[in-house]
Amino acid sequence: MRKIYSIGLVRGLLWQILGTALGIGILTGIRYLMGLTAWKGESAAVFGALLGSLFFVYGIGAMDDWIKVAGGQEVHEPDESGWGSMRYFGVSLDHKVIGIQYLALSLVLMIVGGSFALIFRTELADTGMQFLTLMEYNTLMSLHGMVMIVGILVGVAAFMNYLIPMMLGARDMAFPRLNAFSFWLAVPASLILLSSMALGGFDTGWTGYPPLSARAPVGVQMFFLGVSLAGMGTVLSSLNIIATAIRMRATGMTGFRLPIFVWGSLATSLVSLTATQLIGLSFQMVMFQRLFGMGFFDPAKGGNPILFQHLFWFYSHPAVYVFVLPGLGIISELLPVFARKPLYGYKWVAISSFSIAIIGFLVWGHHMFASGMAEYLRVPFMYSTLLVAVPTGVKFFSWLGTLWRGKIEFPVPMLFVLAGIVVFLIGGLTGPPNATIATDLHLTDTYFITGHFHDTMFGGYVFPFFAAIYYWFPKMTGKRLNETLGKVHFWLMAPAFIILSTVMMRTGLLGMRRRIADYDPELYLVQDHVVMTVAGFLVAVGILVFIINTFWSLRRGEVATGNIWNSRSPEWQVPSPMPAHNYDRPFEVVGEPYDYGLPGSVYVEFKEE
Amino acid sequence: MEHVSKSSVLQLGLLVLGALAILTAVEFTIALTINIWQVLAVIPIIKAMLVFYYYMHIYRLFEEDKDIDRESFAYKLATNRLGLWLFLISDSFIFGGLMISRINLLGLTRPELIQSLGLAVTVVLLISSFFANRAEVCMEYGDRKQFILCLSLTLGLGILFLIGVVGVEWRLAPFGPETNLAGAVFYVMTGFHAFHVFTGVVFLAIVLRNGMHGRYTSEKHWAVEASVVYWHFVDVVWFFFYPALYLIGTLVK
Amino acid sequence: MKRYVTILVLVIVSTFVIHAWLVGIGLFPTGASTQSVIIDQLFHVHIWIISFLFSLIMVTLIYSVVIFRRKKGETGEGAHLTGNSTLEIAWTGIPLMAVLVLAFVGATTLGEIRAIDPSALQVRVNAGQWFWQYQYPEYGVTSTELYLPVSKQVNLQMTSVDVIHSFWVPEFRVKQDLVPGQTTELRVTPSLIGVYKVRCAELCGLRHAYMEGLVYVVSQTDFDNWILKQQSAAPPSPELRGQQLASQYGCTNCHSIDGSAMNGPTWLRLAGSNVELTDGSTVVADDDYLRTSIISPNTQVVMGFQANVMPDFSTVLDQTMVESLIAYIKTLK
Repeated sequence: MRKIYSIGLVRGLLWQILGTALGIGILTGIRYLMGLTAWKGESAAVFGALLGSLFFVYGIGAMDDWIKVAGGQEVHEPDESGWGSMRYFGVSLDHKVIGIQYLALSLVLMIVGGSFALIFRTELADTGMQFLTLMEYNTLMSLHGMVMIVGILVGVAAFMNYLIPMMLGARDMAFPRLNAFSFWLAVPASLILLSSMALGGFDTGWTGYPPLSARAPVGVQMFFLGVSLAGMGTVLSSLNIIATAIRMRATGMTGFRLPIFVWGSLATSLVSLTATQLIGLSFQMVMFQRLFGMGFFDPAKGGNPILFQHLFWFYSHPAVYVFVLPGLGIISELLPVFARKPLYGYKWVAISSFSIAIIGFLVWGHHMFASGMAEYLRVPFMYSTLLVAVPTGVKFFSWLGTLWRGKIEFPVPMLFVLAGIVVFLIGGLTGPPNATIATDLHLTDTYFITGHFHDTMFGGYVFPFFAAIYYWFPKMTGKRLNETLGKVHFWLMAPAFIILSTVMMRTGLLGMRRRIADYDPELYLVQDHVVMTVAGFLVAVGILVFIINTFWSLRRGEVATGNIWNSRSPEWQVPSPMPAHNYDRPFEVVGEPYDYGLPGSVYVEFKEE
Repeated sequence: MEHVSKSSVLQLGLLVLGALAILTAVEFTIALTINIWQVLAVIPIIKAMLVFYYYMHIYRLFEEDKDIDRESFAYKLATNRLGLWLFLISDSFIFGGLMISRINLLGLTRPELIQSLGLAVTVVLLISSFFANRAEVCMEYGDRKQFILCLSLTLGLGILFLIGVVGVEWRLAPFGPETNLAGAVFYVMTGFHAFHVFTGVVFLAIVLRNGMHGRYTSEKHWAVEASVVYWHFVDVVWFFFYPALYLIGTLVK
Repeated sequence: MKRYVTILVLVIVSTFVIHAWLVGIGLFPTGASTQSVIIDQLFHVHIWIISFLFSLIMVTLIYSVVIFRRKKGETGEGAHLTGNSTLEIAWTGIPLMAVLVLAFVGATTLGEIRAIDPSALQVRVNAGQWFWQYQYPEYGVTSTELYLPVSKQVNLQMTSVDVIHSFWVPEFRVKQDLVPGQTTELRVTPSLIGVYKVRCAELCGLRHAYMEGLVYVVSQTDFDNWILKQQSAAPPSPELRGQQLASQYGCTNCHSIDGSAMNGPTWLRLAGSNVELTDGSTVVADDDYLRTSIISPNTQVVMGFQANVMPDFSTVLDQTMVESLIAYIKTLK
């Protein structure tokens, strides 16, 4: 029994249950003492869930050292070398462990969110409601969106936390305890998000617009709370990334000698550090409207539903750049390795990430062209939105320049990189029709948008994410993922996905609205829907092959302890799996990161101790 | 680093308090007389800049230290400082969002509140910031006794602020959060701010206790700096929220 | 040099092929408004841009991947090309100018589709969960189907009685949200006689998928006749009218007529029965009770049901309509 309790995750969950029950009790007690009707399910659920999440992070031990410091004690980082594989289930301060924990959580969330999609895609294969109720459909569709978003945020955190200290030559992140805390906060946040299904579900879509969300079932409160908590984790994680990238660099690593992935991560983190607070605020304001009757978005009290949309999209648009900038950074990082050529126009690529991030703050209104927002805002937002295409184009042209006259090889990571480029291209090209207001009036709230963002998400995140896993798996484990299975995964997933998103856009143009559980037979789109459902399942099969590959390779994968990709990057100059504190000797940056093809050039030189 | 005498630094702190007090008196007077929102919107910015520079010493963020040993206390201190300011930047977006909401929902109207109470709690918070700065300076100069005294005063005034807003103003306000839009905006803004004051009070209490147990020295007192800088941030937020709720605009019933 | 020529040729060919494909597979519903003509022209510009840029990048990509692949046995690295400032400036500057031009075109297009015709037909649109109601103030006509005369601009003044909805007829191409507490405006000039469907385009709750209605674009004569018919139609019996209204305004989506449990209380044997309310009191479901239930439902919530679920019909149903509904409910014994 004690052995089970010693597992962090178990402890955390037990404490979460305790905290939830306590929270429900306390809230009920307070209401009773205040002379109100003691039992109010919605309030009790919210307070219980909130307290439960705090108890989780306490119970798992993510706050232990801070509590000690508050008590006046000294704290030291533990020696985790003898901890074994169980440390992945509890608090570890090692950024590599945390990175893999984030990775595991993101895969779980993507599989859960993806399964929701498979369920409702099955329902949508024909008109009429086959096996889902309307509330079940709306809940699954809404959760698919938000679970995927949280999964992406967590996956982005996985790669940033795993790679950045290694790429910088640091032994760990600037704030290791904050790193662990940020990760473990995401676990109860995800559980709370999913618990919405048990509390009546909700029918608002992931965007949660009031007044609809103000009158949705109680499940929507779990949705709002789960996202707020996940958002807090993102903010803290971003803080850590920025501090690490600024403060923990090896000697000689000036700005334009940073790995390009770090540039992308910095740009991302600037956005997620700041803008994330706005989705939290907007969701909390709806929570308060429901709990305390505050009429922010209630027209009957003079409130303004469109205010919500401004607050919400002020985060949620830059958020999509948070989702893709790291992945685009991965593409930029890996192309030089597989083309054996410098990253073409490295400085311009580095700056383009920041340009995208900054311009990305100024475009949110393009989600609201049909909303009834102030007329004078529409055209400026169109201009700013179209402007984002310019730094994005710089990246594409740079990638072409990197491939041109290279000596290109095609191991599985490269396949996913190339697919990422192609799919992100399609996604990016379908942006301008959405940006010009007149055409957007036809497109908004249709499957055209759904196709557009699935393309950008898969191209900017999912495919680079898989590329990164296949590429750095040896660094994490000392073994390679099986190449053949990897190719099967790729050739199932990439063509199927391209078909899926293309058909989405076609149906949208022809009248297929978003977020509908059922559609008009007179649209004559049943065939398209069947194609989309089959394609979706093929994508899932591809991912299943990947999961099998992962488990198989962890046990029996081909040993790969050296610099199998012949990369110049520092982490590949030491054996795999990566040693405990990364580098036993410090290194100095003496050359450019991507000078492939320049004889005798070296990026880093390890110092003699 | 040039040697600056403790008394001159303390004197500077007092001068800054004086300037902030004068600016507060000015904005209160303008609100009661000519009520030009553009002026009332600029004064908080000036107050904030004074606090950022003199109390929160934001310039320390830009000190060059590339060549210091990474494992040294000084280097880690500077990293911690960056982390704290990143946190404050992030936090300010919440308050920014609340301001935008207030402007969008209330425009040039304001809720019916008790002016004397509003001015009183503002002054209380201002003086608490003065003592917080004083406490930090004393700690930097190794004067533990003064540090404890000043930090205790900060803490006490902070608690007084909470009593004034949550204990009194919330009770006496002629509206609840559900009554009307002005009520909703008032409670959500003061609620978020009070929550931050509360966490600041907890932070200061912990630091005070540890300080009393001799935990900090003039060389190593990061927790003191962090708690005090956080406290100043909370005060700066109030520089903006106070006119937004109490001073700018005409009354709405 | 030869390489660049090859790529140029391939890009041009590919552009035309892709353009032809996109145009050929039929991506747009029939255009049925003057706005659709303008908007489809802008779509066409986008199709050219997409075809060209897709070709430009894909051709170069595929060419590189084929020609510059490492052949078997080949050693060595790629060419050490780090960049070219002129090229960078070019491929930053040209797209910049292009997007500015495109944005300008977008702005003028927007201006064109928003052109105001002062003699436009005025129609008030009220939407709620999950119905559409149209009022013609000039004629005193109310309907749940939208009749529009062809070639005449209609000025839709729209609002919602509960949550956000959105008005969209795909053939018209334009879309506008309906926001509670505000009036939004949409101007459309239908150009093709036919029957279309308006499809709510903002998720509005459970039955969002089914919030569709009919839109009839008819000749001016037919429109005038329809108006006359609406104005002079002998009203059906109140009971029959009530039955029609119950369907048109979505009452039966939540209130069953056969006793089965739904979101709202059943109407079967409701009239005259004893009803227990959430405040513990029991009342008789007389005409006053039924009236209040329809236009002010939150003042008396039935035990076991939720407040704030039923839409606000107070601005949508006039007194006669309410009485008809009551009459109909009374027939359900």
